[in-house]
Amino acid sequence: MRRSPGPMDRDLALPRYGLLYRLFGVAAAVWITVVLVLGFLGPVPNLPILEQSARNLYFHVPMWFVLYAGAIAGAWHAGRYLATGRTVHDVRSEAAWMVSTVAGVTALVTGVLWSRFTWYQGTGLWWSPEPRQNMVAVQLLISGAYFVLRGSLDRPRQRARLSAVYALFATATMPFLTYVLPRRMASLHPGAEGNPAFSQMDLAGDMRWVFYSAAVGFLMLGWWLYTQRVRAKVAELRAEALAPEAAPVSVVVSSS
Amino acid sequence: MLQTADTTIALYDEAAAQASSEQPAQGLERIMLADDKLPVVLGVVLIVWIGVLTLLFRTDRRLARVERQLDERSA
Repeated sequence: MRRSPGPMDRDLALPRYGLLYRLFGVAAAVWITVVLVLGFLGPVPNLPILEQSARNLYFHVPMWFVLYAGAIAGAWHAGRYLATGRTVHDVRSEAAWMVSTVAGVTALVTGVLWSRFTWYQGTGLWWSPEPRQNMVAVQLLISGAYFVLRGSLDRPRQRARLSAVYALFATATMPFLTYVLPRRMASLHPGAEGNPAFSQMDLAGDMRWVFYSAAVGFLMLGWWLYTQRVRAKVAELRAEALAPEAAPVSVVVSSS
Repeated sequence: MLQTADTTIALYDEAAAQASSEQPAQGLERIMLADDKLPVVLGVVLIVWIGVLTLLFRTDRRLARVERQLDERSA
């Protein structure tokens, strides 16, 4: 792609985002549009308590999938950064954490709204004692501290190294706080008390395929947003490397 | 569908005063008024989604342009 592969190029090497990438964007756009139509108009069993809000399954649960996928990608690139020291892995790790954390906040807030008018109808209870909700709030504080840590460090290599280590720790708490502990406690949320979250019994046949499609669609959207952030950050760093006099002083001082 | 139109509507909007739920819905109305007007919400959500998609595609195009310029300058 680049004609003069210097050390900077290898440090920030990205794949070419060409025709295939554009086709992927079109596919994700069409895919989610179809999911939206099916999600609104497709049949749901209309059970008591849930009623039509069962359609939230298509939009609330895929946010969890994006949260996990982003955290796994973030931890992977944190590990790759520590192994190789290549800046591109730090950029990828941060972008994946950002997408993951935004999806996590969306998942938490949509869950609060959904449960307020179903399980806690008539109680006026916005913040419920639901264990998963509370554990996820703790996890999001841990995830959010990643960005506080990044913001507090000026030297790029130190920032990249420390936040990579922190990202690995923050990912290590995720399965326990969002998976193991909520299953050990009594809760109305699917997946409590040792039950699998998506058993044959829990999901009506009509809804199953829309739900799977929604999960795939939002994972595609998450990857799209992630690559956009990576490309923008890499372009920024390449521009700084081309014109160091225009870069912030801290960047120039620390490039020893 | 729940209430007949309020007569004060005529003071504000002559067109809305003509609204009627008496005759059977036809054409587009038959689609949009089904399921307690849920398709209207779908329409709004799709319009918002198209707006978000426009921004996503425009960001893609802008990134491609910046990457091309950087490739030319660093070549």
